[in-house]
Amino acid sequence: MDLVGNLALGFQTALSPAALLFCFLGVTLGTLIGVLPGIGAMAAIAMLLPVTYHVPPTEALIMLAGIYYGAQYGGSTASILLRLPGTPQAAVVTLDGYPMAQQGRAGVALFVTTIASFAGSVLGVLLLAGFAPLLARAAMAFQAPEYFALMVLGLMAAALLTQGSPLRGLIMVVAGLTLGTVGTDLQTGSFRFVFGRPELVDGIGLVAMAMGLFGVSEVIANAARGGAPAARRPRWREMIPSRADWRASAPAMLRGSGIGAGFGALPGTGSSIASFVSYAVEKRIARDPSRFGKGAIEGISAPEAANNAAAQTAFIPTLTLGVPGDAVLALMLGALIIHGIIPGPGLIEQQPTLFWGLVASFVLGNLMLLILNLPLIGLWISILRIPYRLLYPAILVFICIGVFSIRNSVFDIWLVLVFGGLGYGMRLLRFEPAPLLLGFILGPLLEQYLRRAMTVSRGDPMIFLERPISAAFLGLAAALLCWSLVSGLRRTRATPEA
Amino acid sequence: MSDGSGGASLARRLARPGVIGGALALAIGLWVMTEASGYPLGTARRMGPGYFPVLLGGLMAVLGTALALASLGGREAPRGDDERADPRALVAVLAGLAAFALLLPRAGLVPAVAGLVVIAAQGSGQMRPLGAVVLAVVLAALAWAIFRMGLGLPLPAFRL
Repeated sequence: MDLVGNLALGFQTALSPAALLFCFLGVTLGTLIGVLPGIGAMAAIAMLLPVTYHVPPTEALIMLAGIYYGAQYGGSTASILLRLPGTPQAAVVTLDGYPMAQQGRAGVALFVTTIASFAGSVLGVLLLAGFAPLLARAAMAFQAPEYFALMVLGLMAAALLTQGSPLRGLIMVVAGLTLGTVGTDLQTGSFRFVFGRPELVDGIGLVAMAMGLFGVSEVIANAARGGAPAARRPRWREMIPSRADWRASAPAMLRGSGIGAGFGALPGTGSSIASFVSYAVEKRIARDPSRFGKGAIEGISAPEAANNAAAQTAFIPTLTLGVPGDAVLALMLGALIIHGIIPGPGLIEQQPTLFWGLVASFVLGNLMLLILNLPLIGLWISILRIPYRLLYPAILVFICIGVFSIRNSVFDIWLVLVFGGLGYGMRLLRFEPAPLLLGFILGPLLEQYLRRAMTVSRGDPMIFLERPISAAFLGLAAALLCWSLVSGLRRTRATPEA
Repeated sequence: MSDGSGGASLARRLARPGVIGGALALAIGLWVMTEASGYPLGTARRMGPGYFPVLLGGLMAVLGTALALASLGGREAPRGDDERADPRALVAVLAGLAAFALLLPRAGLVPAVAGLVVIAAQGSGQMRPLGAVVLAVVLAALAWAIFRMGLGLPLPAFRL
């Protein structure tokens, strides 16, 4: 089928009343949690995973995806108005967005970030629709060694391309892989790390773990936070950017979209790294870098375009290779697997309504977000004032009932408790939970591919280097490792000696 | 901060997050290796259930050692955004979850939600007792309406 026919099929799916409703629910909820500091897209999607058990997979995925990219839009609102990033991706926007608000240009900043979000998303969706089928076709030839190497590359990228230290990221990935081995070994049927608990025979529940690591630990870390101070609602006339604003921000949006699309398409790297990199690029190529941090409009438009473009292109590796673009997409991959759909190169051909319906829903969802974010800005500002002390007990109730409802298991609530405590401890020790989750989801697959490849090669690990594609992936992973260790060392040396 | 310099006292260096985290990773890695070596290992050609976990445990122990040594010897700069531990919130939230897990099968949905909310709400340190009770009643009623009546989950409001 050609692209036009595929898109027609997609819109047919996405324009059905049920799909439209779930898309709207998703983007609205996404905007809400994006605006509110203290709940991220990760926690929200984990909380809604149980709901998707009762909904067909296409609609479920449309809603979960809507939360994900909707949160990218909403994240900048609190960054600009209150210097409180609603999402980690939006932390960069505080640098120039808050100074703009102090100069009385909050309206312009909100308008420009929404337009930048839209521009980035559109480019991302175009790339997704254009390249995903090609990539899937190329990946049809992949066998166990290629998949193993690709997953190693994805895990390396997740571990190393974060804000934190590379060693910590690697430890988290290995911890996640280890947690993934809990339960019944698929090939021999023997139990591993089960300790006589029947609840662990099928492995650790993904939802319980994600809710503990992301939801509960976030609640604990934010519990003492008060309500946000009141922010003034900007008037319509204040939101229109001047011609100089347009001239400065349009090329920045384009550059940001390009950078974001690239990082998003890489397996394992998320949108926050994309927004940081694009901010750094803008600052480097600016004629007068000293304007940055004082309300430079490029400083908000480029990162916003970048994180939204990344949020869309992150679906490319997730849906074509089965290797998630970042931790949130890993969770969505988990949701697909729950519905019995195995993501991989065959997905687009076998589930055309799912894939093209999702692509079409991105177009519709981004249009909805444009409407949700500009005229309704006053609503989000007033929601920001709900005190967290009232909000978080409600979040906990939702988490508990949601986890319990999956398999009516009290044991899973205890798991949430354990992972909540662990996740909080990890936060204090500066470990990020996202690479752990990625390792946990990819772990069982990685082990299967490793075993299969080694059986084919009769126990000779050279098989990974003899096959050109897998060798290329592993080479990239090794290069990434060397680069990050060297730059990590250099950073340590740069600090003054005592 | 003198913590950032190489001349920090040994006790302070041992308390760095990297040293603690690395040591924990080392301990967990060693434990995983011991536990998994009890499973059949197999050979590289036909890996048994123990092969991959033993590998992972070893890797974890090595990485943990590297992290601990790097931050013990190096100068792990104190980060501005480092979080301060909030034991009150930690205890309140986890105790609330425990109350929910204990009450749900014994007393039903409404007492479980009420217990969770009243206990967990203490974590903020900004809730008066009456406020917590009101919030608990509201959320319990909402939970019952949404999950029991709306979605029809098998969760009786009260269990006797």
